[in-house]
Amino acid sequence: MQIRKARKLESIQPPMTPMIDCTFNLLIFFLLTPSISSTEGYLTTNLPTTSGPVAGKEQKNVLRIKIELQCEGPKGEDVRIVFNDQDLGTNFDALKIALDQKRAAGLAANTPILISPDMGTRHKWVVKGFDAAVAARFTEIHFAVPYQ
Amino acid sequence: MKWKKPESAGSVRVNMTPLIDMVFNLLIFFILTAQFVQLEVEQVILPPSITAINKDYTEFRNVVINIVNPENPHVVILGKTIDAEIRSGPSELTQYLKDIHDSAEGKQINVILRADADIPYEEVAKVMLATGAAQIQGWWITTEIVDLEKLKK
Repeated sequence: MQIRKARKLESIQPPMTPMIDCTFNLLIFFLLTPSISSTEGYLTTNLPTTSGPVAGKEQKNVLRIKIELQCEGPKGEDVRIVFNDQDLGTNFDALKIALDQKRAAGLAANTPILISPDMGTRHKWVVKGFDAAVAARFTEIHFAVPYQ
Repeated sequence: MKWKKPESAGSVRVNMTPLIDMVFNLLIFFILTAQFVQLEVEQVILPPSITAINKDYTEFRNVVINIVNPENPHVVILGKTIDAEIRSGPSELTQYLKDIHDSAEGKQINVILRADADIPYEEVAKVMLATGAAQIQGWWITTEIVDLEKLKK
């Protein structure tokens, strides 16, 4: 019996260029996508780990920043800032200056600050209040929450 | 004068295999990472901040809580809407956070809040109360870092 000789396999070279092009495009896309989130940052604090009626318990002898919602804007977006019973209007720079003055007068950085926004206050204004306190180098920042 | 014939340049073949291997490895890494981020993060307009910093959160156990849609605010965690409404018992969100706290085995847990800039504080306060009730202390507010120098211009 005659055995046929196996044919010599021809080397097949698939075109690699389009595949490499595609891969590089995908790679560049996924490399650049996470950079969108790099403009994000965090403001950090600690919450009290209590719940129930104690959670919203009023703290005495604290420096107080009060952010109130003014209902004059079309969507109630404006705020009036009250700092230790002193009306600062809508000016967050005035809040920052007032806090800076407290620090300059010798108030310690760990003096607790209570941010007490009205329930309708937009989140961005609360963050601005937080920002002003951090910019004045205060470290103990708390938020008032409603009683349950 | 005799000119020397230039030697014929031999064809140089660059070995593409390790390069392609590396590119594929990188590609797989970035695809997986991007998917992971996408699961946790909802599209929100973050409030701007001049003092926020980009911190490394990988050493903690983090719970990313999104509060989306200022017109009809609701809490979204890992793509799932969770009820944060305070009623007589613990809210669904409180229970969710308590379960995470119980399974953390002593590791510090942070709540990373991603709330839309126009969300009313009431919604944020509900999440705060749920976080406090679940004995979680770390409270990180996600903001958009604003360059102060650019603002002054």
